[in-house]
Amino acid sequence: MSRVLLLLRKDLLILRRSPLLAGILIAYPLAIAVLVGLVASYGSAKPRVAFVDEDNLPATVVLGGHRFHVDRTIREVSKNVKLVRLDHDEAERQLRDGRVVAVVTVPPGFVATLRGLVRSPQLELELSRGAISSRVEQQVQALVYSLNRQLQTAYIESNLRYVSLILEGGDGSFIGQPITVLGIAKAQRLLAQMPQTARTRTLLDFLHDARLALANTGDALRSTAHPIELVRVPGRGRTQLLSASVEAYALGLTITFLALLLAAGSLAAERDENVIGRLARGLVGLGHLVWAKIALAAVVALTVGLAIAIAFGTIIEVANVTGGVAWRRLPLLVVGLVLAGGALGALGALLGALAREARSASLVALLVVMPVVFLGLIPPEIVPPAGWLSNALPFVHSVKFFRSALYDLSPWGEVLRESLWLVALGAVFGALARVEARRLLV
Amino acid sequence: MTPGSPLLAARGASRTFGRKRALEPVELEVLDGEALALVGPNGAGKSTLLALLAGALEPSTGRIERRKGARVGWAPQRPAQYGRLSARENLELFARLEGEADAPAVAGQLLESFRLPDEASPSANLSVGNRQRLNLAISLLGSPHVLLLDEPTAALDPEQRRRLWERAAALREAGGAIVFATQNLDELEREASRVAALRDGRLVFAGPLAEYDRFQAESLSA
Repeated sequence: MSRVLLLLRKDLLILRRSPLLAGILIAYPLAIAVLVGLVASYGSAKPRVAFVDEDNLPATVVLGGHRFHVDRTIREVSKNVKLVRLDHDEAERQLRDGRVVAVVTVPPGFVATLRGLVRSPQLELELSRGAISSRVEQQVQALVYSLNRQLQTAYIESNLRYVSLILEGGDGSFIGQPITVLGIAKAQRLLAQMPQTARTRTLLDFLHDARLALANTGDALRSTAHPIELVRVPGRGRTQLLSASVEAYALGLTITFLALLLAAGSLAAERDENVIGRLARGLVGLGHLVWAKIALAAVVALTVGLAIAIAFGTIIEVANVTGGVAWRRLPLLVVGLVLAGGALGALGALLGALAREARSASLVALLVVMPVVFLGLIPPEIVPPAGWLSNALPFVHSVKFFRSALYDLSPWGEVLRESLWLVALGAVFGALARVEARRLLV
Repeated sequence: MTPGSPLLAARGASRTFGRKRALEPVELEVLDGEALALVGPNGAGKSTLLALLAGALEPSTGRIERRKGARVGWAPQRPAQYGRLSARENLELFARLEGEADAPAVAGQLLESFRLPDEASPSANLSVGNRQRLNLAISLLGSPHVLLLDEPTAALDPEQRRRLWERAAALREAGGAIVFATQNLDELEREASRVAALRDGRLVFAGPLAEYDRFQAESLSA
């Protein structure tokens, strides 16, 4: 058995002797992954929005012959925000305190303007200055858009009644005032009874054309209101919680945490136990020692990573989630887990060599994990320097490898590219760790 | 180094830790069959010299020479073993690393010889004396020709001290050598055949025990 394997076996034995440590090392990153998932899912959470009704909205409003249930309508269209009814002062106070992220106010005269079906009534939106204000604005816009879609029908019907009045004539009302209209049809009949001259024929031709044109007004108005209609197809594929990205990030985060801490802590522990001198006097070279820690990180990453992947897959199978599990891709995942564990283990070994003491090494590794992970979470298109830094660390390449290996239809290009990244980063960090490991002998 | 040459030698070997020079350049040879005692006050450089001779540290200047094929065992002052492994597991691991053909058998022999408990409990739970016994037992793995011991009897009971010196005598009779750091004058007079005295990182004396007594007397009168 080679010396590296002897040391690896020893480290695994020591790890097995520390069930509490092993449990924490596995549970902690999983808990962090869940928290990151929850934070990420906040993107689809409902922000609390105050609803101030200064017009005393009635339970129902009749518009153009259509009856609208105001409360029901608001409930239906407020799927993306949690609307809470407050008076103006309370809404302002809660906005200042950050308890609501926006205030939507229905000003006095809103319903009267709406009933007029001529001018557009206005809703007032006041936003907080928080990071999510733009998202709330989008959601309130979506709310207004949805309301408008429902109201458009009433407006169109109302407009069509005016068109009908112009066509057929009769009694009606405009802005609340009663009106009587002759109508094109009656005008045609009257003109037909008059002596036919060039002028009357011209007028009859015009009325004939106008009647034909107005007859198509209904379809034209409806298509103008909805040039493109979006029809939502019933949901398919994985839920957000079980998405490929969440699984890849959970794997990446857990392995990063485990590999960095174990490699850093176990290398520095060789010095703490005063064994490094005994090993270095010809029994085990420092390079072999670093290799043993990289191997330890790779073995633990493989074991824990596979367990997570199988647990994920089992949940998806049991829950009968559409899309299923790519069990055939597990061998490819094995390659990724070993490469990622090794590259992260090399970085951990470097941290351990620099810190020199197991406690310091563990603390340093712990402090390094979060920036490494969060750098990988920042979209490089938004903050390019974060992307450059992240590319120099194994986390983001691990996540890309896992995501591609498990879910891309044709993963080979991406997997090969990320494998090369992981091998190169592992080699660089491993070489640096070997150089710095001399400090452990002091 | 060829047969007939010293088993082990420091040739101008020095060691610096950061800015601190722990050991000035030292010239010292370890010969067949001798028991060389390293003496000096705390911080004199004894442990550093032993670590250099063992190969656990690299000299900042100079070199350490070892006769071809000569194996070296080393027991540092602070026990060097894995606290979460049992005594047997430590012995088996280091036996394998030393290239022992039958590591479990060798480990069993040393456990018995040093009267160490053959239990599954971690060696960190052993008494101070037993941890030192294990430290010494590990240093004997690989059948060393030279044994480097850093204050080896400090935590041992009289019976274990006697056994240790019996082993040392057997090693010397077989042509090997022992180098030990000590503060114990009785041990020095009883066990040492030669003395190397260090002070403030400098080798101030190297010679037979009788001459060391004279050197000490002159140092005191000066």
